[in-house]
Amino acid sequence: MARGLELLLSAILLAGLYATMAYGLGLIYGVLRIVNLNHGGMIMTGAYLGWWLHERAGIDPYLSLPIVATVCFAIGALIYHGLVRYLPRGAAGGAQSLLLLFGVWLVLRNAAYLQFTGNDQVIRTEYSTMAVVVLGSALSVNRLIVFAIAALMLLGLHLLLTRTYLGKAIRAVAQNADSCTLVGVQVERIYALTFGIGTALAGMAGLLLGTLFSFNPTFGAVELLKSFVIVVLGGLGSVLGTALAALILAIVEVFAILLLPAYLTGAVGFVLLVLVLIFRPGGLFGHRVLG
Amino acid sequence: MSSWRRIFPEWLSPYHLAVLAIGLGALHALPYLVALSPYDHNQMTLAFLFVAVALAWNWIGGFAGQVSFGHAAMFGVGGFVAARALQMQLFPFWVPWVIGGIAAGAYGLAWGHPTLRLRGPYFSIATIGVGEATRLVLTYWQDFTGGATGLNLPINAQLKYALYWYALYFLALVAIASYAIRNSRLGLGLLSIKSDVEAAADVGVPVVFCQDLVLFLSGAAVGIAGGIYASYFSFIEPSDMFGFDRSISFVLMAVIGGVGTVFGPGLGAVVFVLLRQFLIASYPQLYLGLYGLLLVLVVLFEPLGISGLIFRVARRLRTQRSAR
Repeated sequence: MARGLELLLSAILLAGLYATMAYGLGLIYGVLRIVNLNHGGMIMTGAYLGWWLHERAGIDPYLSLPIVATVCFAIGALIYHGLVRYLPRGAAGGAQSLLLLFGVWLVLRNAAYLQFTGNDQVIRTEYSTMAVVVLGSALSVNRLIVFAIAALMLLGLHLLLTRTYLGKAIRAVAQNADSCTLVGVQVERIYALTFGIGTALAGMAGLLLGTLFSFNPTFGAVELLKSFVIVVLGGLGSVLGTALAALILAIVEVFAILLLPAYLTGAVGFVLLVLVLIFRPGGLFGHRVLG
Repeated sequence: MSSWRRIFPEWLSPYHLAVLAIGLGALHALPYLVALSPYDHNQMTLAFLFVAVALAWNWIGGFAGQVSFGHAAMFGVGGFVAARALQMQLFPFWVPWVIGGIAAGAYGLAWGHPTLRLRGPYFSIATIGVGEATRLVLTYWQDFTGGATGLNLPINAQLKYALYWYALYFLALVAIASYAIRNSRLGLGLLSIKSDVEAAADVGVPVVFCQDLVLFLSGAAVGIAGGIYASYFSFIEPSDMFGFDRSISFVLMAVIGGVGTVFGPGLGAVVFVLLRQFLIASYPQLYLGLYGLLLVLVVLFEPLGISGLIFRVARRLRTQRSAR
C-alpha cells in the first residue's frame, strides 16, 4: 500500500513534466496542422543547452530556463520562416512536413554529436541528490521543483491563451485562418509565433528532463512518442485535458514497473501509443485531434 | 504493333519489359564477364537487397501514401524466422526465406489492419510505435532472438557467393511485382486511396482490402529481404535488424529516389548505398546530418527526388526537340 502511494506520487510528479513536454506538440498541431517531428530534436537541444550553460557558465539550470526558452523560440521561428512555411498542411500535405522536420532533427542530432560527442550527460547540481520526506515517502527535491516549474508553465500558457490578445489571435487562427486574414490578423506572424512557442516549450521540457535523466544526441525520440500519446489522448486546446492525459500515461508507466521486467517498461509507451491510436483516436476529452 | 497488343496485356508495355529483361540479364552475367573483387561482389548483393526493400516499401508508402517508419519490424521478423528455420536444417536453403517472408507479412497485417484506418501523419507515428515496441520486445525475447548476442546461421562460403544471384532473382520478382501492382486494378485502387479515401470508398474501391493486401505483400517482400540479409552475414542480431535507423534508411531510399514512382525508390537505394559507403569511409561524423539535409532539400525542392529530376530533364529535352 505504501509502495502504491509512493508510485502514485512519483507518477503525479512525472505527469507535470510530461504535460509541459506534450503541450508544445499539441499547440503546433492545433494551430498549424503539422506534426512537429522535430519536437524530439528540440527536447534534446534544450537539454544540451542547459547542460552547456551549467558546465561552462555555471548558470543554475532553473535560472537558465528563460535563456533556453528564448534560444529555442528563435530556432523554432527560424525553422518556420525558412522551411515549414513552404509546405502544404494537414492530411492533404501527406508526409512531406513529417519528412522535412525529421530531416531537421537528423541535422540537429548530428550537430550535437559533433559538438558534444555521443556520451551520456546529465545536468548535475548540488541539490540533485537531496530528498524530502512527504507522507512517509522520500521525494527528490529536484523532482518537486521540476513539477512546480512545469505546473507554473502550464498555468502561464493557459493564461496566455485565454486572457491575452495574442492568445485570442492564436485560438482564432486555429479555428479559421482565412477569416482571420479577413479581419486583419497577421496569420503568418501568428504561425511563426506559435511554432516558436511550441519549440520553446520542447526546449524547456528538455532542460527539465535533463536535470532528471541522462541524455545523449538520440535523446528525445521516446519523449516525442510519449508527447504524441498525450496529445491524442488529451485532445487539443485544453490544458486540463493535456494534464489528465499526461497523468494517465505517467501512472501506466510507473505501475508497469510493478508488473513487467525492467527492460520491457520502455515498450509500454509505444504499445500505449498504438492502442490509443487504434481505439481512442478521438481522445478521451476535449476536441478531437483526428479529423 | 497490333500483334504486340494481342500478345501483351494492355498494362504491360513491351518496351518496359525489354528494358527490364536486358538490365537484369546484364546484372546476371556481370560476375561471369568482369572479374569483380569480392568487395564489389558483396556490395552489389547488398545493393540488390536494398533496392528490393525500397521498391517494396514504396508499395505502401508511395502507391497508397501511407508512409511507414516501422518497416524494420518486418525486416527483422522475416530475418529471425528465417534464421530459426535455417538453423533447423530441414529445408533447402531458400524455403526459410519464404517462411520468414510469410511470417513478416502476417506480422505486418496483424498491426497494419487496425492502424491502416489512420491517415497521413497518424499512421506514420503509429508505425514508429510499432517499430520501437517490436525492437524492445524481441530484444528481450532471448529464447527466440538470442538477445543482444544474436544468432549464428549455418551458411557456407559457396552459398554466400551464390547469394548474388538469389538476391538478383528476388529483386527481379519485386521489380516485376512493383510494375504489376502499379498498373493493375489494385494499383489504381491504391492511387485513389492516396488522393481521397472517402471518395475512393464511395466509388466502390475496397479500401480496407487493398491496403491490407499491399501491406502484407510489402511486409512479406521486406521480410524475405531480411532473411537473405541475415544469410549474407550468417549472423543476425536484434539491434541491427530492428533499429530505428534501419526503418529510416528505407524511408530515405524511397524519398531520395522518388516516393510513389515505380522504380525511383530502387534508384534511391543505389544512391543511398553508394553514399553510405562514401560517407562512412570519408566523413563518418557527418553522415546523419547529410541525410537530414538531403531529406530537407528533396522535400523542399524536388518532392519526387531523383525521378523528379529525370522527368524534368526528359521534359526539357522533349520540348526542345519539338520546338526545333
